[in-house]
Amino acid sequence: MSRIFYLVQKEFRQIRRERAFIFIIFVMPFIQIVLFGFAVNTDVRYVPIAFVDMDRSQTSRRLLTAFCANETYTYSGMAATEEMAKSLLDIGKIQIAVVIPPHFERDLRTGNRPQVQAIIDGVDGNSAGLVLGYVGQIALQLQKEWLPDTGMPDGSPPVGLTEIVPRMWYNDSLESKNNIVPGIIATLVTMITAFLTGMSIVREKEIGTLEQLMVTPVHKNELIIGKTLPFMVVGFLLLNVGILAAGLIFGLWMKGSLLALWGFGLIFMLSTLGLGIFASTLAHTQQQAMFVVWFFALFAMLLSGFFIPIENMPRAIQLVTYLNPLRYFMKVVREIYLKGTPVIYLWKQALFMLVFGVVMILGASARFQKRVG
Amino acid sequence: MNPVLPTIIKKEFIHIWRDPQTLVIILLMPLMMLILYGYAITLEMKQIRTAVVDLDKTPQSREFIEKIISTGFFHVTRVDVPYRQIEDIFFRSQARCVIVIPDNFAEKLAGDSSTPVQLVVDASDPNAANFINNYMARINVGFNLQHGAGNGGIFSVEARLLYNPDLLSAYFFVPGLVAVIILLSSALLTSIAIVREIEFGTMEQILVSPVRPNQIIIGKIVPYLVLSFLDGVLILFFAHLWFHVPVYGSLLLLGFSLFVYILTGLCFGVLISTVARSQQVAMMAVMVITILPSFMLSGFIFPVRSMPHILREISVIVPATHFLRIIRGIMLKGTGIFQLLPELGILTAFSILLIAISIRKFHTKLE
Amino acid sequence: MNRQSTGPDSFAAETTVVVSHLTRKFGSFTAVDNVSFTVARGEIFGFLGANGAGKTTTIRMLCGLLKPSSGSASVAGLDVYHQPEKIKTKIGYMSQQFSLYEDLTVRENIQFYGGIYGLSRLQIRSKTDELLHYLNLWDQVDVLTRDLPLGWKQRMALSSAILHDPPIIFLDEPTSGVDPASRREFWLLIYELAARGKTVFVTTHYMDEAEYCHRVSIMKDGRIVELDKPERLKNKYAAKNMQQVFINIVKGKDK
Repeated sequence: MSRIFYLVQKEFRQIRRERAFIFIIFVMPFIQIVLFGFAVNTDVRYVPIAFVDMDRSQTSRRLLTAFCANETYTYSGMAATEEMAKSLLDIGKIQIAVVIPPHFERDLRTGNRPQVQAIIDGVDGNSAGLVLGYVGQIALQLQKEWLPDTGMPDGSPPVGLTEIVPRMWYNDSLESKNNIVPGIIATLVTMITAFLTGMSIVREKEIGTLEQLMVTPVHKNELIIGKTLPFMVVGFLLLNVGILAAGLIFGLWMKGSLLALWGFGLIFMLSTLGLGIFASTLAHTQQQAMFVVWFFALFAMLLSGFFIPIENMPRAIQLVTYLNPLRYFMKVVREIYLKGTPVIYLWKQALFMLVFGVVMILGASARFQKRVG
Repeated sequence: MNPVLPTIIKKEFIHIWRDPQTLVIILLMPLMMLILYGYAITLEMKQIRTAVVDLDKTPQSREFIEKIISTGFFHVTRVDVPYRQIEDIFFRSQARCVIVIPDNFAEKLAGDSSTPVQLVVDASDPNAANFINNYMARINVGFNLQHGAGNGGIFSVEARLLYNPDLLSAYFFVPGLVAVIILLSSALLTSIAIVREIEFGTMEQILVSPVRPNQIIIGKIVPYLVLSFLDGVLILFFAHLWFHVPVYGSLLLLGFSLFVYILTGLCFGVLISTVARSQQVAMMAVMVITILPSFMLSGFIFPVRSMPHILREISVIVPATHFLRIIRGIMLKGTGIFQLLPELGILTAFSILLIAISIRKFHTKLE
Repeated sequence: MNRQSTGPDSFAAETTVVVSHLTRKFGSFTAVDNVSFTVARGEIFGFLGANGAGKTTTIRMLCGLLKPSSGSASVAGLDVYHQPEKIKTKIGYMSQQFSLYEDLTVRENIQFYGGIYGLSRLQIRSKTDELLHYLNLWDQVDVLTRDLPLGWKQRMALSSAILHDPPIIFLDEPTSGVDPASRREFWLLIYELAARGKTVFVTTHYMDEAEYCHRVSIMKDGRIVELDKPERLKNKYAAKNMQQVFINIVKGKDK
C-alpha cells in the first residue's frame, strides 16, 4: 500500500513542476468554454436577404418590412432583376432573394393570387430549411393581416387558423451555450485525463524510468493505481474548474446536485483513464500515443451528442454510439445541469459508465505487462 | 537550378516511402474520417420522439395529428399522457416534445378566432428545440393553407432552393470535412517532419553543410505538398463517389485552390515546427491552433454569421474559413475564379507570410 | 587502478547466478543462443560484446523483464520463469538509459525509489543521509536532477537502484557517454560494492573497463565465445590488453 503512496507522491511532484499542466488545468477550461460556448450555434440569424421588387407598391413594401423586421434576416439591398439576385447568391453575398412580381398589389386585391418567389441558397441544407420555415411563417402572418382587404368573395369558408404556442422548458431563451457549455465540461474531462495518463506512461517508457520501475518489486496493479489516481485527481480538479468557469463566464450553474455530478464524473473517469493506459500499451513513442488518444477522443466527442444530436445519425452509427462512454456522461452532465434530473432517473447511464470503466481499466491493465518486448 | 534542393527533396521522399505505416495512416485516416464523419455530422432531424396529448378527440384534431405524423419529422412514442407527467417523460427522455391539443380545438377551428395548440419542448438542447419549433411551424403553415382562406391563401410563396434542392446535409458538410481534414494532415505532417529532425540531431548535420535555410524549408514542403495533394484529390474523389457531392465548377480551379490551400496548411506546420521544441509540443500546437479553430470557427458546422463579433473577426484569420467558401462555391454552385479571387488571394498571402516568418525564425532558432 | 584485485579466491564458493542453455528468440531471430555460465558471490562479472551481441537481452532475462524462450536460469536461487517478482527484491538494476526522474530533486528521487522498494520512512531518511554523504551531494539535495553533471547522475542512479541493499547488481552499460574521470569514480563505487560482498554483473563496450572485472565473458551473435579472467585471456591471445583480445576474437572468428 505504501508503494502506491510513493508513486502518487512522485506523480504529483512531477505535475507540479510542469508549468504546462497548470495551464492545462486552470486556463484551458476557460478558453474552451469561451470559444465553444460562443461559436457553437446552429441558430440561423442575420441571413443576408435581397429583394427584387417589381411592383413597388405599398403592399410590396409592407412585405419587405415584414421580412426585415424579423431578426432572422439582415437587409442587404435591392436587386433590379432576378438575374442580378441570382448572381448575388452565386458569390454568397446573400442567402435568400425574395422576388415580388409586377402588379402584386393589384392581383392581391382582385383575388388573383399573385405568386411571390423565394430563392434560397440551399448549400447549407440545414439553415436553408430553417430559412424556408421562417418564410412560411411570415407569409402566413401577412395572409392574416391582408385577408380583410382582399377581394375574396363573400361566403368563403371562415378562417380558423391554428396557432402553435411553443413552451420551451429548461432553456426558454433557447441559448445554445446552455447546452454546449456543460458538454464542454464533459469533453474536457475526457480529453485531458486520457491524454495525460497515456502520455505520462509513454514518457516514462521513452526515458527509461518505466523499465527501472519494472525491475523493482512494485506490483503491476500498484503501478497502474499509482498512475491513474493522480490523473483522476487532476480530472476532478478540472471538472470543478470547468464548473466554475461555466458559472463565472456564462452565469450557468447546475440545477441538479453537485454531489451527483462529482460521483458520475469519478465513475466516468475510469473509462478515460483506462483509455490512457490502453493507448500507452499500444504506443512506443509519445507521438504514437498522441495519435491513438486523439483518434479515440475525436471519435468519442463526435459521437457523444455533444453538438450533433445522436438521433440525427444513421441507425448504424447510432448503434456505435452505445459503445461510447462519453455519450452517457454527456447526457448525465446535461441532465443535471439543465433539468436538475434526480439521480434515480440516471441510474442506467451510471451503470453503463461503470461497466465500461471497469472493462476498460481491466482490459488495459491486462495489456499492460511488467515485461518488455 | 541548384542541385541541393532536389537532393533534399529526394531524401524526404525516401523518408516517407520507408515508413509505410505512417504512409498508410496519412492516406487512410483522412478517408476513414471522411466516411465516418460524413455520415455522423448531420443536423437534419428525423423521427423526433413526440408525445401527443389530444384533449379534443374529434375528427378535426385527429386530422391535425395525422398531418403532423405524415411529414416524417415526428415519431409519436406516447399518447394521452397527463399534463403533469410531461416532466417525467422528459426526465426519462422518452420524448423531446409534447403536442397538446386543447379540448375545444374543433369548436374553435370552426369559429373565427385563432386556435392555439401547445408545443412543449425539452429545450435542454436548444438547437434541437429550434428545429422542432420550426418544423412544427412549417407543418402548421401547411395545415392552415389547406384549411384557411380560399384554400391556398391570398398569395402564394414559391420557394426555389438553389444548388442543393433536397437540402442534403452531406452536400454541406462533406466539402467542409475535406477542408478540415486536409488542413489537419498537412499541418501535422510538416510540423513533425522538421521537429523530428531537430530532436534526432540530424538537422544539425544538415545545417553544417552549406545548405541554406530556405532550401531546407522548401525541401521539406515540396514532398508533403505532393503527398497532401494526392491525399486531397483522393478525398475529393471519394466525397464525389461515395456521398454523391456534385462538382458543378471547374475541376482545374478546384485543383488549383486545393494546391494553394494545402500550401497554406504546410506553411502553418513549418512555422509551428520552427517554434516548437519537441514533437509533443508541435503536435499539441497543431491541434490547438489549427484543428479547433478549423472545426469551430470556420463555418464548417456553425455559421460564422451567427457568432459574436470577436469570433467573426478571428474566423478571418482561419484559413479553413476561406477554403470552405471556395470549395463549397466550386463544388455546389459552380462559382468561377473571378468571384473567388479574394479568398484565393488571402490564402496565397497567408502562405507567403507564414513562410517568410518561418525562414526568419529558422535562422534565429539555429543560431 | 590500485584497488584492482583478483576477485574472490574460489569461484566454487557460493554461486548467485546460474544460467544454463538460455535462449531467447524474437521471431526468427535468435538474440541469445544457448548461453551457460555461473557467477559467484562478490564477483565482478563483465559482459562484453559488440552492439547487438545479446548482452542486454541476457540481462533483461535475468532481471525478469523478458521471458526466455528456452533454457534455465536462476538468480539468488530464484527461478526466472516462475519467480520474476521475487527476483526483483534481490537485485538492483541500472540500464544504459538514464533511470532517474529529471524533474524530481535529488532527495525526491531517493525518497521515491526508497518507497518503491518498500523501505520505511525512517530507513529512507537514514539512507538519504548516508547516500548524500557518500556522494557528496549535500549542497545539491534540492536541485533538480536534470541540472546535475552526468557523472553524478550516473552514480546517483546506481545508488538509487541499490537502496534496498540487494545482493546482486545488474549494470547495463552504466558508463556510456561519461568522461574518463567520472568512469573511474564509478568503478571505484563498483569495487566498493564488490568488497561488501555484492555480486556485480556489468556489461560494457569499454575495453579498459573489462580489465577491472574479475571475469569477463565475450558475446558474439548471441553466443558466449570466451569466458575467463582477463589475464588468462590476454595470455591466450598473446595480447597486451583486452582491446586486442576483443579484436582478435571478433576478427578471428569471422575468417
